[in-house]
Amino acid sequence: MSTLKISNLSKTYPNGVKALDNVTLELENGMFGLLGPNGAGKSSLMRTLATLQEADSGSAFLDEIDILNQPAETRKVLGYLPQEFGVYPRITAQQLLTHIAVLKGITNKKERKLLVDYLLDKVNLYEKRNKSVKGFSGGMKQRVGIAQALIGNPKLIIVDEPTAGLDPGERNRFYNLLADVGKDVIVILSTHIVDDVRELCTNMAIMNLGEIVYQGSPQNAIEELNSKVYQKIVSRDTLQQYAKDYKIISNKMVGGQPLIHVFSDDHPQNGFEQVTPNLEDVFFSKINTSNVLV
Amino acid sequence: MVYIFMFILGLMEFFATVSDNVQVGGAIGNVYRNSPYTLTLHISIFSIFSLLMAVAFFNNAALRDHNNEFNEILFTTPLSKPGYYFGRFFGALFIATLPLVGVFIGMLLGTWMNSIFEWIDPERFGPFQIKTFVNNYVLFILPNMFLAGTVIFAMANKWKSTVISFVGGLVIIVAYIISGSLMSDVDNETIAGLSDIFGINTYALETKYYTPVEKNTISPGFSGLLFWNRLLWTGVGILILLLSYFSFSFKQKNKKVKKENVSNQKSTTTFLLPKLTPSFNTNTNWIQFKSFFYTNFLSIIKSVTFKILFLFCIIILVADLSGGFEYFGLQSYPVTYKLIDSIKDNTDIFIIIIVVFFSGELIWRDRDYKINEVIDATAHTSFISMAAKALSLVSIATILNLFFILIGILYQLLNGFTRIELDVYLLDFLYDNLPLFIAFGGITILVQVLSSNKYIGYFVAILILLVWEIVLSIMDVGSNMLDIGGGPSVFYSDMNRFGPGVKGAFWFNLYWILFAVLGLLIAGALWNRGTKDSLYNRIKTARKEVPKSYRSVIVIATAIWLGIAGFVYYNTQVLNPYYTGDTLEELAANYEKTYGKYRDVVTPKITDAKYYIDIFPNKRDIHVKADLELTNASESNIDSLHFYMSEDWDTKLIIPNSKEVFNDSTYDFKIFKLSPPLQPGEKMILTVDNKFITKGFENNRGTTMIVKNGTFFNNGAILPTMGYNSDYELSDKNIRKKHGLPEKERMPELTPGVTDLHMGNYIFNGQSDFINVETIVSTSADQTAIAPGSLIKKWEENERNYFHYKTDTPSLNFYSFMSAKYEIATRNWNGIDIEIYYDKKHNVNIEMMLDAVERSLKYFTENFGPYYHKQARIIEFPRYRNFAQAFPGTMPYAESFGFIIDLEDETENNVIDAVIAHEMAHQYWAHQLIGAYMQGSTLLSESFSEYSSLMTMKNLNNDPMKMREFLKYNHDRYLRGRSGERLKELPLYKVENQGYIHYGKGSVILYALQDYVGEQNVNTAMKNLLEEYRYKGTPYPSSYDFIRHLEPEVPDSLRYLITDWFKEITLYDNRLKEANYKALANGKYEVTMEIESSKIKADSLGNETRVAINDWIDIGFFMDSDEEVLYNEQRVKFDRAKSSITVQLDSLPYKAAIDPRHLLIDRVYSDNIKALSLED
Repeated sequence: MSTLKISNLSKTYPNGVKALDNVTLELENGMFGLLGPNGAGKSSLMRTLATLQEADSGSAFLDEIDILNQPAETRKVLGYLPQEFGVYPRITAQQLLTHIAVLKGITNKKERKLLVDYLLDKVNLYEKRNKSVKGFSGGMKQRVGIAQALIGNPKLIIVDEPTAGLDPGERNRFYNLLADVGKDVIVILSTHIVDDVRELCTNMAIMNLGEIVYQGSPQNAIEELNSKVYQKIVSRDTLQQYAKDYKIISNKMVGGQPLIHVFSDDHPQNGFEQVTPNLEDVFFSKINTSNVLV
Repeated sequence: MVYIFMFILGLMEFFATVSDNVQVGGAIGNVYRNSPYTLTLHISIFSIFSLLMAVAFFNNAALRDHNNEFNEILFTTPLSKPGYYFGRFFGALFIATLPLVGVFIGMLLGTWMNSIFEWIDPERFGPFQIKTFVNNYVLFILPNMFLAGTVIFAMANKWKSTVISFVGGLVIIVAYIISGSLMSDVDNETIAGLSDIFGINTYALETKYYTPVEKNTISPGFSGLLFWNRLLWTGVGILILLLSYFSFSFKQKNKKVKKENVSNQKSTTTFLLPKLTPSFNTNTNWIQFKSFFYTNFLSIIKSVTFKILFLFCIIILVADLSGGFEYFGLQSYPVTYKLIDSIKDNTDIFIIIIVVFFSGELIWRDRDYKINEVIDATAHTSFISMAAKALSLVSIATILNLFFILIGILYQLLNGFTRIELDVYLLDFLYDNLPLFIAFGGITILVQVLSSNKYIGYFVAILILLVWEIVLSIMDVGSNMLDIGGGPSVFYSDMNRFGPGVKGAFWFNLYWILFAVLGLLIAGALWNRGTKDSLYNRIKTARKEVPKSYRSVIVIATAIWLGIAGFVYYNTQVLNPYYTGDTLEELAANYEKTYGKYRDVVTPKITDAKYYIDIFPNKRDIHVKADLELTNASESNIDSLHFYMSEDWDTKLIIPNSKEVFNDSTYDFKIFKLSPPLQPGEKMILTVDNKFITKGFENNRGTTMIVKNGTFFNNGAILPTMGYNSDYELSDKNIRKKHGLPEKERMPELTPGVTDLHMGNYIFNGQSDFINVETIVSTSADQTAIAPGSLIKKWEENERNYFHYKTDTPSLNFYSFMSAKYEIATRNWNGIDIEIYYDKKHNVNIEMMLDAVERSLKYFTENFGPYYHKQARIIEFPRYRNFAQAFPGTMPYAESFGFIIDLEDETENNVIDAVIAHEMAHQYWAHQLIGAYMQGSTLLSESFSEYSSLMTMKNLNNDPMKMREFLKYNHDRYLRGRSGERLKELPLYKVENQGYIHYGKGSVILYALQDYVGEQNVNTAMKNLLEEYRYKGTPYPSSYDFIRHLEPEVPDSLRYLITDWFKEITLYDNRLKEANYKALANGKYEVTMEIESSKIKADSLGNETRVAINDWIDIGFFMDSDEEVLYNEQRVKFDRAKSSITVQLDSLPYKAAIDPRHLLIDRVYSDNIKALSLED
């Protein structure tokens, strides 16, 4: 059982943006979902944990390893799929994975071969192993990326927006794979797709503006909102008025009309009906604390 | 950006205009710093530089919308195609010409500022000519940018790739280089002139005979070859532009979609996750290194840019090799060093470009392909990755170089040359190119790692590559420790292998390789791992990124590097200090200022010399003991002796009855007081004990006078200088002016009669005449040592060879001592031993050389008189210097100058015959008779020798047309030489040791003279002069004495030739305007020639005046188009500018000519000959 302890991690960019604001988290084996809108600081956190970025203050320990000060040690037990994953031109999937396997310390040639074949099969690319990766579609490239993140015996796998560009079938496949390995290691999955977290993660955190605004299990989060979320279809011109009068969590278009969700301890009446809260409501209620129209 | 380029070019031109340290093509001597010629030269050179900028502008113009993905928006607007296409093109064209306008501004600004600040003498600036600027813009800048632009613009539009556009730029440069290689042959000048895409060579051709005055006044104009060249290439540009325009379309092409072969076989294998045992140890590092190397190496090999550059190298190399190794119309054998030189000259620059380009590519590759975060987050040390990148760069460079070596070997084999020296190729690569590639690889990688993006990295790398050396030269820093990859030359000689520089090269290479490794170590520590971070932050966090041991590795590497640097420094600055150019200049100026007062100090004469010389070829040491007999030949007492030692030598002087009274260690100048003084006529013995000890290694190659095999030095090098040393003085008039020194005459003025000046010859100026010399010289057991005179005795002692030589006749105090492993070929001719001392690899031409010596002896003894030595020796020496030289009875001859020339198909005259005849002639003209120290003296030695050489040729082949071919080089030498004259051109009889006059003009004039007045008459005049002065000593003759003997031999009708040819500078401008024929009824042909002829008198700067012609000039005909068969030549008197001559001929010739054998000096000879046309 590994533990990842992040304490008071902060990072401010030279342009004044606070990417990480006193982030404290404790993670254990299993899938951990990191939710947050674009620009929340998810990638900064992940890059910091992947030893690719410096923090201004705070600490992060993976068991005994001081991530911030022992990057070389950290990398030995790390699997990382960045948000943007590209490939070298004129090199095949097999060559690329073999190269990365070497870099991850798989020095035994036979092991390496078996591992690469295994992973290629897992991401359904074995048939294309001798094709240049450059000619792959976005989804196929992403699968190569996933395969490389699993190489070695990582204790910590960080995947940043892994399902972008994958079709639903590929996504399922990927999650099965991740769930497979996630039993024994820490997997941090960053995403802005709420469903991903609900389906996969036992624990999660929501980030906004560099801060952790929620940490816990998805189920608890939803239970907290139980019987406090109401919805109503309103007309477009009255939207502003509703925003003033209620704590709007979210609004989206349904059949050309805005459907608003509001947070309220009591039933707001006025045509609102109670709904069973979902993770999306949690997400929006956590990040939309000022209750503005989003 | 354009303003930055403009500023840079302007700045460079500014410094080239106002500073003597910055030279672009060189504006020297009498040519103004701002002359039309200088400006045009600069513009044409900068044209090549600005090509790279042009690529940027035109590529940007073509691809801007495409790259910003604005094209789909823009092209859907109602924009007209020609408006868009040509608008973009001409916009870019205008912008692209602006940087070169910066050159104008730089020159104008420099001229103007100099007129205020007078950094250099304002006299060196001429008037402003607007025409020069306008014509330069219209003739060079605009057409060149236009042509380059069309090619780049077309390629950019076609392929939409910046890389391909840069390749376009390279294509243009390659085309320029190839057309330039045509220039080397004098014969296809017109083709070369037309084929040069930039017109640079064309301009060089048009101006090659320009005198300084013409360079200062004539702007490039709209006529002649240059104009046609410009029209031609602008036309080509228009064609390219139109083709490109019609193939351009707003619509995007559908991308080709490759159909994939869908394999239906589903694999049924099951895959199991193996049990993994990741390990991180030294072995891991090694495997990671290999994997990095493999991926990096493959990425270079597979890239299009690499393939294209590689192909270019091959094309250029093969193009160069296909021309062979021409030497005065002959071919050299393709010996290994020739191929090594050719490979270096043609491909080094491309390999460096590849290294620079791919250092950027490799460093930024992960980022460019967005895989950096994955790679960076894996457990490897950055240094491993850096080292792998560096090694892949170096490997690529090595493979290329080896491939070129293979081409070289194939070339040798194809030419039937079987002495393949693979070891020489490889060693040269190890000594020279490989360390250079490693140094550049390491440095460019460091630069790229430190810079915040690839292009800044490239910019810095190019700055280092191009500008750093210029900075060093401006700062007057000569140390190779600062010149990247610098070190002593290992220039290969067949005789002496890699020469004395090898040891230094080894240490310098170590120094640079370690420097590169250090660079890589630093790059490994500062590698931007992860998000882009500033350099400052990277330095702060570096300690975390590298293992602890890494720091100690850096410390140790630095320590070793510093140790080597210290050792190199000690050897090159402490053990063997050297002076930089500015220091030497300063020293020379101060010397003259301080000791100029001793200029007229009276010295005794050396009247007898005995040498005891021990040569140690392996240690590169020389021990000399010399007993010199000094005689006071003056009419006054000599009370003090002045000596200048050489600082390379450890000198002891033993002077009886003397006391050292003055010692200046800066100039190694000592004065000894004699008491009692040396009376007139009195003799004394001076003993010189001199040791040359080689210590460590030097900044440069070091002296080549003493080497392992091929030692060659003369007596001047081993003795101190006596009296005042005017050779120390500065000679360039502008430099002298800078130091406040008055102008210096190159030579005392030609004076008739017998004066004090006639008491010394031009080599020794009164310090010696003809003396006896005796030498005992020893060398290592495997070598032969040679000194002047007959070999009296030869013995072995202490495992060394000893030789005792003695001159048979008093000779000039000017002789060489040589030692090498020699083969000796001998032949006896009329009691004279002809001996060739040669390296055993160079045995092919030996028989021919013996023949040549014999032929010379025959002609000279018949025509000029006896040969006084008992032997005539030709002695090979290594190619560090490329000449042949005549000492009494011995003629050192460079290996590259004749021993490797292919004479297999040569039956008649060739350059080796000519050179040998020339040196043999010096045994008469210089060694029997030598001119007084005044103007005109080299007429009596160099011109006479060159003439004598031509006469042996003439008698050998007896073919006037072959002689014309031979004289062509002398004409060219003269006309080019006067074009580059820095001070003043003088008439032949006042020549001041100017090569182009005494060799070039002298031989042409004397050859023409014997043709006009008769070989016998000219030889008689020379012989009479010789008989009057042979071995006589004082007084020495001057050119007046020659003219005195010549005049009686020249008929009155031709006396004008003496004035025109010897006493004045005369050129002819002959032209055959029309040559028509008609068949006559009697079966004969009547040919009418319309001839223009005029005579030109030039002054010392090249100002010309046309004078009335009243001269005898030949007309003649050729029966063939190749001008090999001369027919019906006759000498006609021309007395007006235009004449019409009608001749009846028996057979119909192919061509008519005025001066068909090219006897007269005519700047444009090609218009003297015309094919006949049928009269209308």
